[in-house]
Amino acid sequence: MRRSRVQTLVLTLALGALAVVWLAPIVWVIVTSLKVTADIVRLPPEWIPWPMTAEHYQEVLFSSSRTARIGRAFANSLVIALGTVSIVVVTAAMAAYPLARMRFAGRDVVFTLVIGSLMIPNAVVLVPQYVLVQRLGWLSTYQGLIVPEAAMTFAFGVFLLRQFFLTMPGDLEEAARIDGANAWQIFTRIVLPLSQPVLAALAIFAFRSAWNDFLWPLIAVNKPEMFPLPVALALLRSAYSSESYGPIMAGAALSALPLLVVFIVANQRIVEGVRVSGLKG
Amino acid sequence: MRRRRRRQTGTAWLFLLPGLLLFVVFRLYPLLEGLRVSFTNARLGRATYQYVGLANYTRLADDTRFGMSLWNTAFYTVASTLPILAVPLGLALALNRGALRNVLRGVFFFPFTLSVVTVGLAWLWLLDPVVGPFNYYLRALGVPARSWLADPATAMWAIIGTTVWWVTGYYLVVYLAGLQDIPRELYEAAALDGACGWRTFWAITLPLLRPVLLFVVVTHVIGSFQIFGQVFVLTMGGPGDATRTVVQHLYETAFQNFFQFGAASAMAWVLFAIIMVFSVLQFRLLRGHTEY
Repeated sequence: MRRSRVQTLVLTLALGALAVVWLAPIVWVIVTSLKVTADIVRLPPEWIPWPMTAEHYQEVLFSSSRTARIGRAFANSLVIALGTVSIVVVTAAMAAYPLARMRFAGRDVVFTLVIGSLMIPNAVVLVPQYVLVQRLGWLSTYQGLIVPEAAMTFAFGVFLLRQFFLTMPGDLEEAARIDGANAWQIFTRIVLPLSQPVLAALAIFAFRSAWNDFLWPLIAVNKPEMFPLPVALALLRSAYSSESYGPIMAGAALSALPLLVVFIVANQRIVEGVRVSGLKG
Repeated sequence: MRRRRRRQTGTAWLFLLPGLLLFVVFRLYPLLEGLRVSFTNARLGRATYQYVGLANYTRLADDTRFGMSLWNTAFYTVASTLPILAVPLGLALALNRGALRNVLRGVFFFPFTLSVVTVGLAWLWLLDPVVGPFNYYLRALGVPARSWLADPATAMWAIIGTTVWWVTGYYLVVYLAGLQDIPRELYEAAALDGACGWRTFWAITLPLLRPVLLFVVVTHVIGSFQIFGQVFVLTMGGPGDATRTVVQHLYETAFQNFFQFGAASAMAWVLFAIIMVFSVLQFRLLRGHTEY
């Protein structure tokens, strides 16, 4: 499959062109969000937002009376996503460690149950989970969003981390044990520091799924001030669609921001996470 | 030895405790509770309920809207599978070992970091029948403008196109990883024998990629049966019921339409049974893959 230089050049150019087309919808969202309202619907489509304005951002962030403010929703989503990440990383790491490195009664049963639960579609537990959260008095609260969200990602986290723990050499743990360290000390001072890359991959994965989840918050929240971004955005659509795409696109662009930052900083790590999760389960 | 082992069992369970608590209460219990509720006539707000046997399930057989949503979901799944297999694979082959590999991989992956609502809103605007750029450029190419999302003949295809754009980057990364695992020597040996281009693709790449292809299909099928967000934002299940899906029907039955929890739970378990078949397939397949 050796390619000639001309072939390589043509291929690269074609791929570059395709990449530009691929990004066009995202560029269009950003461009629209920066245009003055009168310019938004002008044809032919204008790809340079001039004159430029921040009014749509201002409106959705601060002054919208018609729907939950996107600024508040943004903060809600941050709380929910970060809360989910911390619970998932802590519980999954603690659970994956003995499953990978200890011999104990019941290990295989627990492992099979947790891994088997990867098969449970979120939509299937929707109704009973709603009843449970309602009985706990957690509807429209942060914990009502964070805890079920964490439970959704827990099994995947156990799977991912256990795979990693299995590949770690045992020498360091053995040495620490001989020096008198207990299991908790070995876990926190040796195993976790060595696992930083995979813990980061899991954190990003959990952040992405909590930040983007739509179905669960749609039913578990009925107070506008508690809406996370996807729900607030979906409602923004019905509030504005007849007048202007400007505020809707400003909201959409804002919702992409945190993961864009994570993505630029940790591109390689995200790809690694997908690679491991994709090919090995 | 014996004592040490017992002590480790205690320690192990202490480590497992927080996670298992979360898992049992918010995952395992709701699953089984849902099965129980599916045999009752429970509704939100009703203090008591009776067991009604299989009534919820038999009623599903007569529920034409459920049948319709099942059909739509199956159609979506089948129709989207070929593009989901082919588009990222084509990209992966073109990107593999090429210049700019990592940059372009990043570009194609980026839409996958967006929420389904963000993706839906972007495409809602792009596909706008009057002022959307998509129709404008089609017209420039001589294709007549259409209301893609309001026409029963094209609405589901618009949803499929949106989804392909959204998830291609994920499968691209999966394919690229699979391609890296194919030993280079195989291609070098083939080149010595005078084989190149399409022949090496059919004789080496595709057969060795088989486990990855199967993984992609099964993952995609399992995900497809749960499609909800795209439909919710783009069409609300319309026009008519042309894009109504199972999860949307379940959502409306449980939370919009008199809170019929029993009936919705029965739907959930029918969906679960369908997905389970594909999941079992996946687990078999993955076991095969690790051995390979």
